[in-house]
Amino acid sequence: MLSSLPDALAILLTVEGLLVLVMGTVLGIVLGAMPGIGSTVAVAMVLPFTLTMGQAPAILLLLAVYAGSVYGGSIAAILINTPGTPQSAATCLDGYPMAQRGEAGLALGWATVASVIGGLVSAIVLIFAAPQLAAFALEFGPIETFALILLGMTCIVSVSTGSVIKGLLAGMIGIFLSTVGGDPIIGEMRFTFGQWQLFAGFNLLAVVIGVFALSEVLMRASTALSQTSELVDFKGIVLPKLAMWKGRLKNLGKSVLIGNLVGVLPGTGAATAAFISYAEGRRSSSNGANYGTGEPDGIVSSEAANNAVTGGALVPTMALGIPGDAITAVMLATLTLHGITPGPKLVEDNPTLIAAIFTGFFIINLLLLPLGLILSRVAAPILRVREAYMMTAIVLLCAVGVYFVRGNPFDLLVMGAAGVVGFVLRRQGFPMAPLVIGMVLGPTLEITLRQGLILTDGSFAAFFVGHPIALVLGLTALVALLLPLLRHQLARRPSRQNQE
Amino acid sequence: MTHIVNERVMVLLALFLVGGGLYAATFGQIYSSTETAQSPVFFPRIILALWMLLALAALVQAVRAPSDTAPVTSWPRLIVLLLAAVTYTNVIGREGFFLPSVVFAAISLPIFGIRNPLVVGLYAVAVPGALVLFFNHLLGMPLPVSRFTYLF
Repeated sequence: MLSSLPDALAILLTVEGLLVLVMGTVLGIVLGAMPGIGSTVAVAMVLPFTLTMGQAPAILLLLAVYAGSVYGGSIAAILINTPGTPQSAATCLDGYPMAQRGEAGLALGWATVASVIGGLVSAIVLIFAAPQLAAFALEFGPIETFALILLGMTCIVSVSTGSVIKGLLAGMIGIFLSTVGGDPIIGEMRFTFGQWQLFAGFNLLAVVIGVFALSEVLMRASTALSQTSELVDFKGIVLPKLAMWKGRLKNLGKSVLIGNLVGVLPGTGAATAAFISYAEGRRSSSNGANYGTGEPDGIVSSEAANNAVTGGALVPTMALGIPGDAITAVMLATLTLHGITPGPKLVEDNPTLIAAIFTGFFIINLLLLPLGLILSRVAAPILRVREAYMMTAIVLLCAVGVYFVRGNPFDLLVMGAAGVVGFVLRRQGFPMAPLVIGMVLGPTLEITLRQGLILTDGSFAAFFVGHPIALVLGLTALVALLLPLLRHQLARRPSRQNQE
Repeated sequence: MTHIVNERVMVLLALFLVGGGLYAATFGQIYSSTETAQSPVFFPRIILALWMLLALAALVQAVRAPSDTAPVTSWPRLIVLLLAAVTYTNVIGREGFFLPSVVFAAISLPIFGIRNPLVVGLYAVAVPGALVLFFNHLLGMPLPVSRFTYLF
């Protein structure tokens, strides 16, 4: 592939090539920053324009919008506590408290640097290690994938602020919602109650926007009126100094690694990576105890991982024709529309195109730093308007965003219902992140569990005998689940003794 | 409300009952396969059983240690917005994007404290109008249109 680099640069270093990279990244950041639009919708919105372009510029435009929107989601997450994209939901947990302390610029600085590093490393991984990573992911059978998803599920405990029971319950609600519709193995309908609109299940984006954005509007309406949308002091991005990275590089490295590994596994995605990385950071970081209170490591965990997914997700997409997430599925469709057959022969048959895409992806991630510095100043005033205008616009934009995913008015109903349910649950102290994690990981958990049981003749114990990877992952999941509960019990014991 | 019958307890009780109802519904359906792993309701039953168990645990916790939910500043304001949002998401499919959006914005802005009728009117028409113009006519990605005209 390296031999095709000069030809690839010749494609990229043209007016059209550079314009596509810059404009795509700008558009991605702005759309990603707008709550309710999200990466999938942003990429879907741009898709029709790519049909008149060449193969390389078309894919690069989508990649630029994708990478830009994943980063852009952090702007709204930090400044108004509403994730611009589902991938940024974990960023809210520490980004917004930090912004409330008057450190919004620094919080965005951490997010920007982590996003750029995450994206750049994932681009390097994509260029040099794609075949090996893809081969590693292909070695995972259903049992290993089940164990991995089970480990991912334990992050529900970590993100459940307030009550672990309520967090787990929200997670179960999320997993249940993912089971509505066609059974993934034999195709029969479940919990549709005769409603054909439910045959395809609940749209993830509609639920995510409902429980995060719409319920946020209702939460704001239930409190005293504010002139602006929970204004935080923001005068531009403040990049963290080198000394501030001391003790945080390990967390950054781990987050980037998690992002790449999760990204390369088909059907997972950036939201999953961000939460797994956040949970891992909370468990292992020296600053883990401060997570949820405005800890920079929390922002780094989430942002480095979700941007690292972008490159990782492209590995199975480009090398094997297997989409890593919904957005890479759109890209796969774009490749087909441009007459390219995705699959193992793609790299061999189109070396220049692949080299241009991979090199362009590296440049896009480099562009995130200067464009992020400039555009956050532009995006912030948009977010800083009076609460009334912002809240009303959020509902309208959410409706537009949800409608565009499938062009199905039923998804709007789902968004409305999810907003009301989210509001009711949030009032009772239910965290919403576990619900989304459940919905994201639920389908893979179900399929891999059932496939595994079929393979082992119904013996769950056999999952961990003869499957060393699954055993290690399963034990880690068990420890990850029990450790916080044990810590909680130990923390309660001295306080009880003091009371006595 | 008393300590036992409060908003939190009612919500948790409702969650428990919904979980129970859905669990019961899994027995009302007939599927082609009832073998453990191949049954379509095998996995949902595990999840719903955990749902009920957790809801029950949360319910017991709420009854044993009652705590107040955050007070609502103005119930009428909240209820009007809630109804407006639910109705809005319901009618877009039938009445198009523009007209319901104008009505929703005209209701939502005063709820959030904008009282100037000129500002409310301008915003309520301009923002949905701009979105329709941008998506329907510039991008060619049509939002739902009303029964009166194909333009919006």
